[in-house]
Amino acid sequence: MYAGLLTFTAFVVWGVTGIHAVFLPAPGTEGEPATTAVREIPWRAPGNLDDKTLSVAAVEVSGLRAVGRPVLHRRDAGQNLTFAVFGPNGRSDLTYLESAGKLRVEIKGNSFADFLSVSHAGSTRRGPPEWGARVWGVYNEFANWAFLLMTLSGIYLWLATRPKIVWAWATFGLTAILIAALWWGTR
Amino acid sequence: MFRLMRNVHLALGVGFFFVALLFAFSSIVLIYRPWFPSSSERSHATAQLERGLDARAAALALMRSGMAEGELRNIRESEGKLRFLIWRPGTQADTVYAPETGEATLDTRRYNFYETLVQLHVNHGFFHDFMPANLWALLSLGVSVGLLLLGASGIYLWYRHPKERRIGTALIALGFAVPAVALFATRLSGG
Repeated sequence: MYAGLLTFTAFVVWGVTGIHAVFLPAPGTEGEPATTAVREIPWRAPGNLDDKTLSVAAVEVSGLRAVGRPVLHRRDAGQNLTFAVFGPNGRSDLTYLESAGKLRVEIKGNSFADFLSVSHAGSTRRGPPEWGARVWGVYNEFANWAFLLMTLSGIYLWLATRPKIVWAWATFGLTAILIAALWWGTR
Repeated sequence: MFRLMRNVHLALGVGFFFVALLFAFSSIVLIYRPWFPSSSERSHATAQLERGLDARAAALALMRSGMAEGELRNIRESEGKLRFLIWRPGTQADTVYAPETGEATLDTRRYNFYETLVQLHVNHGFFHDFMPANLWALLSLGVSVGLLLLGASGIYLWYRHPKERRIGTALIALGFAVPAVALFATRLSGG
């Protein structure tokens, strides 16, 4: 009971995420996320940085918070270095316009439902370094363990306190058969 | 009302026990990936199909012959050959079909238990050509709704125990305030 009361918020986030997932597009049909903001920052990178090191420095200058490491490094049509960062708030594409001495930041923010969907996977081993994401990661990971324990202890409590309820046994047995059949049909 | 809520809580718990266990355990696998290494058994096969088929027809022919089962994904063309995946949770057949000759080669991976659980965890939506994937998605939807109802009924059952209200209120407050502030701070920091 105490575990459930403490992790109730995680249950809400997971429940909303699962319902929202029904409406997510099929793999390969997602399309490009819409750009929600664009800004250009005057900036010249220190000399002799390779692309990877430069991209890390660019992210620091960009003002973006709660994002992961730069990924998807490539050159655009003008041979400018461009890369992406991802975080719970969506994706941002950064382009270092070397000749112009500017850093272009294209923010593709996501909806609150998508934010919760990304956040539901947060843990101590995953997520941006900011304190909010770290605290949520600790809480979410704790809630995952609590969920596993509650699932198992819930069955124990049923068998220990109300073992003679016929409909409970029927429900349990029927779902066991259905899941086993579905697993067999999938594998 | 107490008896009703207690039965609702029990019904949801026993009804969704196996799916909840799947999600709970697969979440642990996802968080602690190095502890649960992914692996797969690979097998190779070739088939002689009709010449000149498109990807869908070639995939259908392979499924009807029993060489693969699942849904068609990732169609791409290169060097005059069609490449596509025939996928279902836990199994994936990378297929190369040459329309000129009709030859199809399948590189099938059958993933281990942990990886299959992870694929079931992320499986979603009702757009799948492979019907079991839709059924798993339906179970995911059910357990998601069930989680919310389990939480709500659980809170009601707690509240009906007056001796537990003080500590319970503290736990709910702590369990809401800390993650809510953390999520709020993260949301505000974006962009």
